[in-house]
Amino acid sequence: MADLPVQIAGIGMKNPVLVASGTFGYGAEYRPVFDVSRLGALVTKGLTLKPCAGNPAPRLWETPAGLLNAIGLQNPGVDVFISDILPVMRSYGVPVIANIAGFTGEEFVALAERLDGSGVDGLELNISCPNVKAGGMALGADPCLAASVVAAVVRATSLPVIVKLTPNVTDIAGLAREVVAAGAAALSLINTLLGLAIDVDAGKPALGNVTGGLSGPAIRPVAVRAVWQVAQSVDVPIIGMGGICTGRDALEFILAGASAVAVGSALFHDPLAAVKVIKELERYCERKEIGDWRSLIGAAWKRGNSLAGEVR
Amino acid sequence: MSKTGEYSTRVVEHLVLSRDVFRLTLEATKLAAAARPGQFAMLGCGSGFDPFLRRPLSIHRVQGVSGTVSFLYRVRGRGTEWLASRRQGEAVSLLGPLGRGFRYEGNSKRALLVSAGIGVAPLLFLAETLMGLNWTITILIGARTRKGILCRSDFERYGRVLVSTDDGSAGRRGSVVDLLRKVFDKDSYAQIYACGPQPVLVAVSQLSADKGIPAQLSLEERMACGLGACMGCVCQGADPSRMVRVCADGPVFDASEVILNG
Ligand SMILES: Cc1cc2nc3c(=O)[nH]c(=O)nc-3n(C[C@H](O)[C@H](O)[C@H](O)COP(=O)(O)OP(=O)(O)OC[C@H]3O[C@@H](n4cnc5c(N)ncnc54)[C@H](O)[C@@H]3O)c2cc1C
Ligand SMILES: Cc1cc2nc3c(=O)[nH]c(=O)nc-3n(C[C@H](O)[C@H](O)[C@H](O)COP(=O)(O)O)c2cc1C
Ligand code: FES
Repeated sequence: MADLPVQIAGIGMKNPVLVASGTFGYGAEYRPVFDVSRLGALVTKGLTLKPCAGNPAPRLWETPAGLLNAIGLQNPGVDVFISDILPVMRSYGVPVIANIAGFTGEEFVALAERLDGSGVDGLELNISCPNVKAGGMALGADPCLAASVVAAVVRATSLPVIVKLTPNVTDIAGLAREVVAAGAAALSLINTLLGLAIDVDAGKPALGNVTGGLSGPAIRPVAVRAVWQVAQSVDVPIIGMGGICTGRDALEFILAGASAVAVGSALFHDPLAAVKVIKELERYCERKEIGDWRSLIGAAWKRGNSLAGEVR
Repeated sequence: MSKTGEYSTRVVEHLVLSRDVFRLTLEATKLAAAARPGQFAMLGCGSGFDPFLRRPLSIHRVQGVSGTVSFLYRVRGRGTEWLASRRQGEAVSLLGPLGRGFRYEGNSKRALLVSAGIGVAPLLFLAETLMGLNWTITILIGARTRKGILCRSDFERYGRVLVSTDDGSAGRRGSVVDLLRKVFDKDSYAQIYACGPQPVLVAVSQLSADKGIPAQLSLEERMACGLGACMGCVCQGADPSRMVRVCADGPVFDASEVILNG
């Protein structure tokens, strides 16, 4: 089998396939279904400083080739995560990335301090959640605010800081440049797109929170476009996500400039989706006799692309 | 007990019980061996990525000898419509068994099973299991009309069956809740088990609190992962600061564990 190693923000992974925050719980939930140590890294559900009860039900609504969700960051809080959940996650022998969600800049810093030295391998700053009133997307859609939070977190921790961006902005490349200048070691994109559905039978919004975040195959072209634009604007690695269901979908992101990918909503369609993506990438590299898979990163826009004409 | 898995199964039999109610039997040896009453499975209900989500269906019946599992479902929308088009020999992908099923407690071993409409689905497996454990059971089935009363003869193998219909076309006229109140006044039970529309569950929950008889309710909520990972399928826990996951903490809850609205 082809090897697919990669380093993201100094975190060594045996393959570039992660799971998207919030779709995989803390890993244990999927253990009955497949060996989660096959993954490149695990990413936790968004963690808050205090336990968070989340939004009222209903929180899910299916849409064409995707879904809207408005979970509202339900989680047991960072302290319970560190004491009860992290030891189990670490036992899988795969890097653990903590997705953190502050409701203010200070909370992001406090979360980062709490997790420093806890045993997680990196932080993913969720400044892009569309389902909370404070923090989240409100903070992450403003390049100045976003940069100041990132700078403060980078100062507060020795852990690699990955910043997760919202697609709900007009200039995602500009936002990415600000965040990287502030010290982001890698970027994750994209978080969900802000959406709304009306339950026609009930005559009111389908979700308890009214609006929600759209994910799944329906958003893939938006995500690939975001990766394409950002990859050509910054020099840090990108974790691409948004509707990835197959190895071919993952290759779209890689060719657009992603150094790793995350599988999220596809797990709801097929709980084995992430392992299938790994296998399909391995098979692709073998079939195409690709020596170092990393030569594929950004190949769709890089000059001297040896694959030009073949995959385009 | 974790035998949960992702399986590709084959349709062994697909029966039309009424205009929009089907009984689907799948060859699923591992699921048949692992499933407990009250648990469910997530069934792939389409051939592409639309519909995108799997549909949760309760395990209706298990035949250990032949290694088959049956589901009883009503066609509601696109997912169940697709499922209804599956023919014998065709493949259906399935994740299960999932969730926490019914628990059997109480010294008197007398149970009252309450269902309305398609809510009978998980109770047949329960009735069969309770009979095997020497429980004495009474089964109440409610529906709008006579045609909506499902599985009556199946249940008669396991206990006494009482029926109610809104229009009086079968059994007692009125709702299953009226029937429940009447039965309650006459006999005593160690445990109530209920599955059906929200108003029925709310009424059972209220009666359970009033009479001090424990009730277990099988709840429904829209689901994505089915495994407890996404926090999408929650319902209000008895502790108001706690939202419980229907797929992993349930779908069967003690009435005292949850707050139902409606
Ligand atoms: C644990 C569990 C066990 C279930 N067991 C059974 C069963 O044994 N037999 C059966 O017929 N049905 C069962 N259901 C309900 C079943 O999952 C839905 O009817 C089905 O998902 C509808 O899918 P659809 O694509 O046909 O309809 P959609 O187009 O998705 O929706 C049509 C209608 O169904 C309702 N609906 C959709 N999803 C759900 C859901 N998850 N829960 C409740 N209502 C929903 C919608 O409000 C809508 O009115 C169960 C649900 C849960 C959560
Ligand atoms: C149910 C659900 C919960 C999510 N929770 C989080 C979260 O807590 N933190 C976060 O950064 N992103 C969260 N996301 C966004 C995903 O991580 C991902 O960015 C997005 O869904 C796009 O990828 P996908 O289409 O593959 O799911 C969530 C998505 C879904 C569907
Ligand atoms: S459906 Fe994902 S937690 Fe229940």
